[in-house]
Amino acid sequence: MIDFISRFSVPGIILFIVLIGYLRKVPVFDVFVEGAKEGARAAFDVLPVMVGILAAVSLLNASGFIDILANLIEKPLSLFGIPPEIVPILIIRPFSGSASLGLFTQQIKVFGADSYLGKVISTIMGSSETVLYTLPVYFGAANVKNTRHALAASLIASYFGMLVSVYICKVL
Amino acid sequence: MLNFIWAFMIFIGVVTGLLLGRTKEISDAVLASCVDSIELVITMMGAMCLWSGIMRVAEKAGLVNSLARLLKGVFRFLFPGIPKDHPANGAVAVSISADLLGLGSAATPLGIMAMKELSKANGNSPVASNAMVMFGVLNAVCIQLIPSTVLIIRQQAGSLNPSSILPNVWISSVASMMAGIIAAKLMERRDSL
Repeated sequence: MIDFISRFSVPGIILFIVLIGYLRKVPVFDVFVEGAKEGARAAFDVLPVMVGILAAVSLLNASGFIDILANLIEKPLSLFGIPPEIVPILIIRPFSGSASLGLFTQQIKVFGADSYLGKVISTIMGSSETVLYTLPVYFGAANVKNTRHALAASLIASYFGMLVSVYICKVL
Repeated sequence: MLNFIWAFMIFIGVVTGLLLGRTKEISDAVLASCVDSIELVITMMGAMCLWSGIMRVAEKAGLVNSLARLLKGVFRFLFPGIPKDHPANGAVAVSISADLLGLGSAATPLGIMAMKELSKANGNSPVASNAMVMFGVLNAVCIQLIPSTVLIIRQQAGSLNPSSILPNVWISSVASMMAGIIAAKLMERRDSL
């Protein structure tokens, strides 16, 4: 059922909107093309932003910085009941979607999918986003120079969620 | 802020790479990333045209207004200062629904467009409004109901019940979202203009 909903949602939404528009005498195709032009322009505007963000993220990922950081904070984090094995995922998750997904795919086989650690990293991957990709792309596209507290609040939210993941898997 | 983060990431990346003798890796990575970004944008461009066009139809058909009226209470709280019939209302509502449904790559272009609308409502100022920050935070936390990629990987890794983690995922997501909303609301007072 849920499968059906998520698969049908895109064509369903399109059908609904176009049908209602047509019935309300909107010149649907003309209006669509006019809107689509704006979409193309928006995508073009995002391109330079995207190149900049991905370049910086890729430098950081390839440099080995994440591994050093992970080694450094493993010990202090274990005091809070955070298993050292998951520290690399904790650090990399907000920075890079593809790198964390790669790490996840590899680690879940090592831990076992139904083990405690396997569940923790699954929960973390399922309940968090790539903050340092999402924010710059969204704000960059809108030409915002000063994002104020967006990054701080997002990182707080992200790490709070990951902490909850670590604890919730001990209970459930 | 973006300027600082960007320079910081590049600085740390290059210096660490140099010190660890990974110059070849970082040089390959940064060049490969350019190809990746073009690929990503080209892939997204089609979806952005499609959604942007469909959204325009929805707007002209009056659907955006109905949706915005439906979500008025929540929106007043989360995104204050957006005029009632501004297209930003509809764009934000549609983008968040797309996130919830897990449309993935289709959700990003919608989000970017919603952010642009919010920026228009903010007079295209280079300083983000409270509503824009809140929208950014909501997109930086995950509000997806079914994390299908994770479930597929769990299945491939031999899980007997891949979807057993769903309650955990929902609890963590909601906790993360609450923390984000509270943090954003608290901080917006501190540095409100």
